[in-house]
Amino acid sequence: MGQGRALPGEWQGMALLHSVTFGYAAGIPIVYEASDSSLMQAVRDGDLGGLAVLFERHHRPLFNYFVHVNGNRELSEDLVQDVFFRMLKYRKSYQPERSFTAWMYQIARNAHVDSIGKRKFEVEIGDREFASTNMMDENLKRKQEVALLKRAMARLPLEKRELLVLSRYQNLKYEEIAGILGCDIGAVKVRVYRAVRALGQIYFELAGEKAS
Amino acid sequence: MNCEQARTQFVDYWRGTLEDSAGEFRTHLGSCERCRAEAEELKDLWGTLGTLPEEDPSMGMRVRFYDALRTWRQQEAQRRQPLWWLRHPAFQAACAVLILAVGVGTGYLVRGRDSTEVSQLRGEVYNMRQLVALSLLQQQSASDRLRGVNFAYHVEQSDPQVLGALLTTVNHDPSVNVRLAAVDALRNFSDSPVGRKGVVQALAKQDSPLVQIAILDQIVELHEKSAVPDIQFLLSVQSLNPDVRQRAQWALKQLQ
Repeated sequence: MGQGRALPGEWQGMALLHSVTFGYAAGIPIVYEASDSSLMQAVRDGDLGGLAVLFERHHRPLFNYFVHVNGNRELSEDLVQDVFFRMLKYRKSYQPERSFTAWMYQIARNAHVDSIGKRKFEVEIGDREFASTNMMDENLKRKQEVALLKRAMARLPLEKRELLVLSRYQNLKYEEIAGILGCDIGAVKVRVYRAVRALGQIYFELAGEKAS
Repeated sequence: MNCEQARTQFVDYWRGTLEDSAGEFRTHLGSCERCRAEAEELKDLWGTLGTLPEEDPSMGMRVRFYDALRTWRQQEAQRRQPLWWLRHPAFQAACAVLILAVGVGTGYLVRGRDSTEVSQLRGEVYNMRQLVALSLLQQQSASDRLRGVNFAYHVEQSDPQVLGALLTTVNHDPSVNVRLAAVDALRNFSDSPVGRKGVVQALAKQDSPLVQIAILDQIVELHEKSAVPDIQFLLSVQSLNPDVRQRAQWALKQLQ
């Protein structure tokens, strides 16, 4: 359980069964966590307890993905919920040989695109939203760097911002990003490089404005 | 390695996943000032990007998720129950429509099949009314005879026996009220030539002004032009009630 929080009572037993598998190697009991893929297979076969474990593992990174992409906390919470229920709805389409994370982010991207369609306009991320996050014990210079970087991110086009969130913030593998975007690994590398360069241009521009 | 090729390796370089066994990338960076500067500058940015603080979702989000999951599970459990569709509103609505359709259909079938029995019954009721009307018209009491006239309203217009009895009543009943009621009842027989002729002939036999006026009104209502000589005869009577005379003159005008 990623965050050590207790699951609601009714899901605890099921989650324990799913997240931990007991086995024996040379007579010694071994304990290991069930993979995302095997949990999703269990969900696909009608066992909803697996989804509770997947939620505990992934809701926070997923929430951060949405917050970084759209800058809206309430909307991001709704979208996280939406992603997990899309997983339930389309669980039969899950293929275990594919990366679960890639599948999840693919669903997340679709949910995000649909939310834009529903609201008929793209969320404009204000500098305010990015500047207001918690910056507890960092020194002033670091604080300023982070604030500046967030402002720069907010000005980046959506597809570049999303790519940076996936590759850097969520630390997904190239193969996973390639799977999500539907392109090859070489193209992912080039696109990530271009996104970083575009971010750098905005960042240094903002830093220059500030310095002058 | 040229600049273009080197730049595709930048992300691996920043990530520390660069496979540069031949050292081509490092050689290029060593010789190309521009690429080196860009790689180092953006490397810091890449590093900072990885340390952006994480945001925490609200506790409400987990609560909402588990609530929704619970609801989903209940619905799933319902769906898995044998005959779950029996409780589905759509199925119940379909049943209601089907039952209604069967009911209406059966009603039509039953009505068609039993129509002969119903008409037989209706005939029997009619005969009984006819008997009651005829017997009541023979009674001593004026109120009984009035009831008889009322029964005559409910018999078929073509019934000659009841028509005859009503005409007899109009012509001979000692009670003015009964005769007036009988004149009214004769309206039901206006399609019958015998009935119309009976009403006209009754005019000469009346001595009550009320009945005379009632008959005159009915003649006008029926546009019975054959009554003109009878009305003229009535007018020739010297002792005729002035109201009746006036009504008779009006009736003549209406008929001409």
